[in-house]
Amino acid sequence: MSELALEVHDLSYRYRSRSEPALQGVSFRVRRGELVLVAGASGSGKTTLMRILNGLIPHSYRGGDLQGTLRILGHDPTGVSLAQRSLWVGTVLQDPERQIIGAYVFNDVAFGLENLAVPRPEMVRRVDGVLQALEIGHLRERETYALSGGEKQKVAVAGTLVMEPDVLLLDEPLANLDPAGVDEALALIRRLVDAGKTVLLIEHRVEDVLRIRPDRVLFLEAGRQRYFGPVEGFLQVAHPQEVKLPAEVAVQRLRAQGVTVEPPPRRPRAADDAEPLIVLEGVTFGYTDDRAVLHDLHAAVYPGDVIALLGPNGAGKTTLVRHLIGLARPRQGRVRVQGRDTRAVSVAQLARSVGFVFQNPRHMLFAPTVWEEFAFGPRNLGFPEERVQANVRRSLDIVDLADYATVSPLALSFGQQRRAAIGAVLSMDPAVLVLDEPTAGQDYRHYIAFMDAIVRMPFAAIVFITHDLDLAVRYANRVWLMHAGRLVADGPPEEVLAQDDLLQQCRLRPTSLLRLNRSLLPHTGRFLPLESLARLDASLFA
Amino acid sequence: MLVTWAYKARDTLVQRFDPRARLIFTACAMLSILQVWDLRWLAGWLAFTLLAYRSARLTWKETRRFWLVVLPLITFLVLITALTGRGGEEAYQVAHPWARLHLGPWVWAISVEQVVFALGQFARMLALATLGLLIPFTIHPAHYGVTFRGLGLNDKFAVATDLAFRLVPSVARDFQTTLDAQRARGYELERKGAGLVRQIRNLAPLIVPVTIQAILNGEDIIDAMDLRAFGARPRRTWIVELRYQRRDYLLMAVGVVVLALTIAAKLAGYGDFWVPPGWLPGP
Repeated sequence: MSELALEVHDLSYRYRSRSEPALQGVSFRVRRGELVLVAGASGSGKTTLMRILNGLIPHSYRGGDLQGTLRILGHDPTGVSLAQRSLWVGTVLQDPERQIIGAYVFNDVAFGLENLAVPRPEMVRRVDGVLQALEIGHLRERETYALSGGEKQKVAVAGTLVMEPDVLLLDEPLANLDPAGVDEALALIRRLVDAGKTVLLIEHRVEDVLRIRPDRVLFLEAGRQRYFGPVEGFLQVAHPQEVKLPAEVAVQRLRAQGVTVEPPPRRPRAADDAEPLIVLEGVTFGYTDDRAVLHDLHAAVYPGDVIALLGPNGAGKTTLVRHLIGLARPRQGRVRVQGRDTRAVSVAQLARSVGFVFQNPRHMLFAPTVWEEFAFGPRNLGFPEERVQANVRRSLDIVDLADYATVSPLALSFGQQRRAAIGAVLSMDPAVLVLDEPTAGQDYRHYIAFMDAIVRMPFAAIVFITHDLDLAVRYANRVWLMHAGRLVADGPPEEVLAQDDLLQQCRLRPTSLLRLNRSLLPHTGRFLPLESLARLDASLFA
Repeated sequence: MLVTWAYKARDTLVQRFDPRARLIFTACAMLSILQVWDLRWLAGWLAFTLLAYRSARLTWKETRRFWLVVLPLITFLVLITALTGRGGEEAYQVAHPWARLHLGPWVWAISVEQVVFALGQFARMLALATLGLLIPFTIHPAHYGVTFRGLGLNDKFAVATDLAFRLVPSVARDFQTTLDAQRARGYELERKGAGLVRQIRNLAPLIVPVTIQAILNGEDIIDAMDLRAFGARPRRTWIVELRYQRRDYLLMAVGVVVLALTIAAKLAGYGDFWVPPGWLPGP
């Protein structure tokens, strides 16, 4: 039996429709039982590499040009069926919703075994075994679509593990999880490696993955292999403004290398007697009669606010922001947007005041060109054509899509589509911008760039949902913390994020940037982004 | 990701039957209903299906969306048929005048047969819709695939039918999400004063994303199935096991007998269009 799980030599691939290769000259070897972190920005070739390893290239992506050699567990996979390969290499896709097929958990986990014609009694034993091992036995009879993001992730892992592959490819498994869910997923991955599985973990959240001690890091940049080796070497190679490194390391590197991108200044909040833009008064709401999602919620959004809305999966964050634009209306209490009760006006009318960017851009992009897509909202609002044109031009620049104005938004990459979705809302000139997890699944460099741009824009207020505490530290001047449908904290980040008990209750875990900021707070007086910390006097870090 | 119909497990007579037996019975019942035009028979079938619906203990809240689509649709079809006078041409030859409606410059002569035909058509469509409704709302979604396999479809078709069955509620969910996203951009579904062409074009912001999403979902599902060895073996096994009980055999037998009797009755000249004698004008 080969000691090597994967041997990759001079691997290159070009998609049929592209002139440039997506992956070029990649070579590495992974021993059995190793954990390898695959890092790199969007478009660096991570997903292409995964598709080559699991066989979707060339099986599903035909007509491309694949060069180089690959051996899996000592076998040459050329000509081996995808089904056979799935017994060697199990894949957990980035979005578990794309992976789950069965209507119920036990159906879904059994799907692979059914395809392999495993006899029913053995199948039941193995399904129950893997559900127990992942500590999700209680989900066995649950409908898959009704699970939380973290639960779906575990079910997707279970459906792959039950087929007992030796190598596991995990594509951004942490993207949609709350911080406690991230901890649970990382602990699970570590257990799998300790049990002898070989794991390739593709992940933007480098800082989190480093906590479970990967054996090596494969770092890709623009389709090329920039680094392959131990973690220590990777920390010296990766740029702290492009890859999210532990704050202490990042500050050290920035002090040595200098800051290349300036962070936006924190926005000042309005005076205490300012008129609120949005007021929620005793809002109670439920999608069904028997279960309330929001309970007697009181809050207000003031001019100047940049509010980070934090809380665990299922806390009611999205339901709360849907109330801000009338997509949900309170069962009890009321919501007033610039003085108007949301029950008395249509969503289209509220869209003049509140711009809402949904999580998945594919639910809204439809126009023949990006330009037309951006013009759709302002035209609906009856803006004069001159203003429409000016707004579209400005929004294209902000989201860096001016070069794509005449391209179909459906032909853009997913990251570009997310920016297009934001740009389409920006062009409507809303007073308040609401973003639902704007950075989920995006690479660090891109999301920092567009969040920096958004915060610099002249919105009266911004509300964004996130699981990333560092976004709150960097941008927010106010934090709303939700738990079980209630607002359990509302205040400046320096106050709310200092309460460890509260954070733990809300399944949040202090990041290295937050810890560093908390330790420096007596000197700084407020939380600072990495770049500003790097400019502080060196003696403060002693 | 595919979602399921709003299924709720209940210990009702309807849910106690094996889904295969119920599908066979439903097919027999539907074929029987489609054979006849006699208002008495159709009323009987309608009463039976409403009884089955009631015994399934489905709530209005669960099925509201279905009825809000189906009831106006049935009413529309029945009215169109009646107004154009096209319905029933093959069912009856003689038409007795019943009333004359004056609609502005138009005069609409309604015959007794037209009214009876419309009532029969309404009862027939409502009975069929009720029978159809019971399937997704009372069959456990985890049993779809193995049910179709048990009815003789091969493994691949059974899995495909299972997925297709869940496509309708999944598209409905995507439609709602897209509608919300576009409303948040100032979009309004109905444009006052817009012509028909403009109204149809106005649907593009909904239709395009929902269609694209459906295509992408389809591709995702194919990849996800491939990555879990779908089609690796000539035959597959199923984790869900269905077993017929005595009542299931009985239900299937009743369905087949009813269908056979209906066919026999039709051949003997029963079940055709019938007008209550009292409704006909006197000599």
